[in-house]
Amino acid sequence: MKQPLISARSPRSVKQPLTRLTPWLFVLPATLIMVVACLYPVLQALRLSFYNWSIGTPWTEAVFTGAQYFGRLAQDPAVRSSLLTTLLFAATVVIAEMILGLVLALALEKPMRGLTLFRTVFILPMMIAPIVVGLTWRFLFDTNFGAINALMTSVGVGKITWLADPNLAFFAVVVADIWQWTPFVFIMLAAGLQNLDGAVMEAAAIDGATPWQAIWTVKLPMLMPIIVVTLLLRLIDAFRVLEVVYIMTGGGPGNSTEILSMHIYKTAFSGGQLGYASAISVLLLAVVMGLSVVVLRLSNPLSAGKKA
Amino acid sequence: MITAPAGRELQAGAAQSHRPRRTGGVLRGLLLAVMGILSMFPLYMMFTTSFKVQTQIFMPGATFFSREFWLFTPTLENYRSVLVDGNFVRYLTNSLIVGVVSTILTLLLSVLAAYALARFQFMGRGVISWTSLLLRTVPLVVLVVPVFGIWQSWGISDTLPGLILLYTAVNIPFAIWVLYGFIAQVPPELEEAAAVDGASPFRTFFAVVLPLIRPGLAAAGIFVFRVAWNEFILALVLTNRFSRTMPVEIAANITDVGVEWGRVMAMGVLIAIPPLLFTLLAARQLIAGLTAGAVKG
Amino acid sequence: MTDLPPSGDLKAAPTATDNPTAMTETRREVLRKLGLTTAAIAASTTLPHFSIAGAQASSRYAKYKGSTIVLSIPAHPHFDAAIKMFAQFTRETGIRVEADRIETGRMKDKQLLEMSKGRGDYDVVTFIATWKGEYVKKKLIEEMQPFLSNAALADPNYDISDVVPGYLQNIGLVGGKKGYLPGPGAKLYGLPSGAETSIMAYRKDIFASLKLKPPTTYTELEAMLPIIQDKGKIGAMTSRGKSGHDAMHGFLLHLNPMGGEVFDDNWKPVFQEAPGIKALQFMQKVVATGPKGIPSFAFGEMSNSFLQGEAAIYIDSIAIFGPAADESKSRIKGKVGYALHPKAARYSSQTGGFGLAIPANSANKEAAFLFIQWLTSKQQDLSIARLGGNAMRTSTINNGALRALYPQYAILKEQIKYANPDWRPIIPEWDALNIQIFGIAVNEGLTGKNAQAALQGAVGPVTDLMKRAGYYS
Repeated sequence: MKQPLISARSPRSVKQPLTRLTPWLFVLPATLIMVVACLYPVLQALRLSFYNWSIGTPWTEAVFTGAQYFGRLAQDPAVRSSLLTTLLFAATVVIAEMILGLVLALALEKPMRGLTLFRTVFILPMMIAPIVVGLTWRFLFDTNFGAINALMTSVGVGKITWLADPNLAFFAVVVADIWQWTPFVFIMLAAGLQNLDGAVMEAAAIDGATPWQAIWTVKLPMLMPIIVVTLLLRLIDAFRVLEVVYIMTGGGPGNSTEILSMHIYKTAFSGGQLGYASAISVLLLAVVMGLSVVVLRLSNPLSAGKKA
Repeated sequence: MITAPAGRELQAGAAQSHRPRRTGGVLRGLLLAVMGILSMFPLYMMFTTSFKVQTQIFMPGATFFSREFWLFTPTLENYRSVLVDGNFVRYLTNSLIVGVVSTILTLLLSVLAAYALARFQFMGRGVISWTSLLLRTVPLVVLVVPVFGIWQSWGISDTLPGLILLYTAVNIPFAIWVLYGFIAQVPPELEEAAAVDGASPFRTFFAVVLPLIRPGLAAAGIFVFRVAWNEFILALVLTNRFSRTMPVEIAANITDVGVEWGRVMAMGVLIAIPPLLFTLLAARQLIAGLTAGAVKG
Repeated sequence: MTDLPPSGDLKAAPTATDNPTAMTETRREVLRKLGLTTAAIAASTTLPHFSIAGAQASSRYAKYKGSTIVLSIPAHPHFDAAIKMFAQFTRETGIRVEADRIETGRMKDKQLLEMSKGRGDYDVVTFIATWKGEYVKKKLIEEMQPFLSNAALADPNYDISDVVPGYLQNIGLVGGKKGYLPGPGAKLYGLPSGAETSIMAYRKDIFASLKLKPPTTYTELEAMLPIIQDKGKIGAMTSRGKSGHDAMHGFLLHLNPMGGEVFDDNWKPVFQEAPGIKALQFMQKVVATGPKGIPSFAFGEMSNSFLQGEAAIYIDSIAIFGPAADESKSRIKGKVGYALHPKAARYSSQTGGFGLAIPANSANKEAAFLFIQWLTSKQQDLSIARLGGNAMRTSTINNGALRALYPQYAILKEQIKYANPDWRPIIPEWDALNIQIFGIAVNEGLTGKNAQAALQGAVGPVTDLMKRAGYYS
């Protein structure tokens, strides 16, 4: 598994006349589908953001409005607060999941009985439909018959109105995401730890490094590329969250959990403003892609060359 | 609140790891157990609630440590009502068709593309790999509005093929990513040997590479299936009462007189079975697949 | 529901309007009241009247036998009752009915999507009164009068004047005064089914043990809240409060009796003025003394907290009638009393709820109309009410046998007098205002923000939206 990547090498020699076309034959079907059914709609979203198009009316009645929506976007306090909520949500869940996942991966690094079973059990939440995750946690956090308040009552705290308080509702949504996605971080980083060069570890141990020192000076630096990729993947998905929030809080109380994807959904379907919803979509897309490009520049998993 | 005590346990476990082995082992075992329980508890609640009637679910006085919280007389009424009333079987069939067909299509197209990206240098390679990476980042809600209009003008709105096309398209970037990691780990000498024997690139690919990356296909397949099977927001917009999939049907059960928790949880259990089953059967491959892109080399 | 008398015991109460001549008179009068055009009145008076209704009925339906109509209905108690009658319609007419049942919140999204297609899925859409302006503005639903005036389709015994006028106006009319009230230019686009007004329900047992009388004014009600909480060991009053439509709905329930309005006659926002602040402050007291979690309660959680015995007072839709009497849904069967929605500056109860309309892109409009007409007829309105659904006809509300089953219909009859068709502005922009601005502002007022500040914060965004929509030009 330690061979250099073939893609890092020079291209294959050209012998058959077909060869130059061969890569394209491999790549074309997937590219075509991606372009037609994913890239084209994304570009269409960009185009729609220049039109005033109300849901339920034919496209022919849409009015070209120029960049007006982007001006409105910049001044819209609802969008601003939603963007802040989104960033706060993404930052909170990603940081919490990275720390929890890392600590867990380090603590469970050595092989032990039950670990395989645990890892299997641990990845199950990732497989549950977001709509069901939202429902389950809404049920658990329910003020009057939720398991969490049953526990709170038992320990003498009393009933807490989780989903009716702006801060607690945000916390509840964050907890649901951490529950579902910490396992992902753990799996990634645990695999990364396993792949670390054993010789370096031994050398560190021989040099008399305490386990604590070994973590900080050897393991974490060597783990960095995987940490970055994991971070990227979590970041992307944190901006994709919609169903869990929709089901648990619907964006409330107030607009305390109204992340951008929720705001887009409401603007498009409750407000009926497809054009403006598209403009907000473009903003969301810009934020996600911007952050992703920054992270990808640090470590590109499809890169031809290898980085340290 | 669920995670707070766990967090303390965690730090304790990590800090203790240099202590004598036995204490560390016990602590690590404890950590494992606590995290496992926290992880499973919501699923346990979902499972048990699906066997309760409404009056067993609304227990105003019940506390966490009371008998009635844990013990109850299970009923199959929710499952009966889910499976017999309404068009649940129709929606289950739709979900299966969409999930299976789009997964197969995605894997087929992605593995070819990933192979080319991993093995050949060609014009456009950079553009394609960057495009696929960037498309991987697109939040699905961004697609909702444009796709509704486009699919309608193409006449594939409300059809299963329309949904399959969309899920295939949004899954390809992810699948390429995972499969690329696996292909990159196949020793190129094998392919070179096949090429010397006169095999065409396609033959080489199907005969030599594909068998070697079966675990990767399994892992990518499960994740691709998971998206197609669980996706809600696009399915809501792109289906009608004939082509509706299960997540949309579940959402329909959040009624105006409150959520029918028993029924909803029964549906939740039913919809969770296929992905959970695949996960349990292929946990090893899954973990390998997840990390292949990131942990290579 | 096991103690219901067999259906034969409940016949539509005979009224004067059973006489065709009298009916024409009444209808003309009502249509004038509704502000329908004279042409429509002329058309309706030319309806032929057959003496043998049965023979005519079969000829009405014959042409559409074997066709299938598709309904978009909400997951709501009224329609849970109505759905039980669809089989009977198919037996009587040969027209098959398929119902697409969706959560109300998402039902509109789905309807808009379907109705903006060339040929949509639905032949009948259930709409909330507040959606009517938008649907008509976008030309998504058909006008009703041409069907009601079509001799081949119309049922001579339909008697539209029997429909509670406030309901018919609030749910059905578009184009009159302010765009949604009766007046010149108003046309009928839908018929009520699942129409509702607000009423007060209270726990007789708790009121008796605390020696309290059901409040008739908001002052009495407000004074009672802390007493019930302290001495009754129960949440005083339940309320909707969830961010969005529900919070605003809860607010409007009190804004109206306190004499407030959302806009003045020139569409200037006035919801933030004194009555609005009082209404929101009242809601804050309800939250403080009520069952826990009101700021996250939608209609379901709100009514459930009453049904599960966690609140002593309920002021909201009459949709509680059915569930309160149903043992499988209620822990308080037999303990519920009903009274008028209390008065503050005035009596003013909600009008709203659901209506049925025909999408412009339906392929089976005539069959769809026949279904709507059948479901909203005197006979079926009574059947739905008997099953726990919402009555919308005067004859049903006055029906003696039904009143024996649900005594609260006596209160409802009184309450209907105060049902206010201008309860909230049903302009096409309402949902955007309601969900994205008002609903959030009110909810903020319930979760810590000062009432005045919360409402004041909404004035700017509301004014902006109204300006963009062209109300101030």
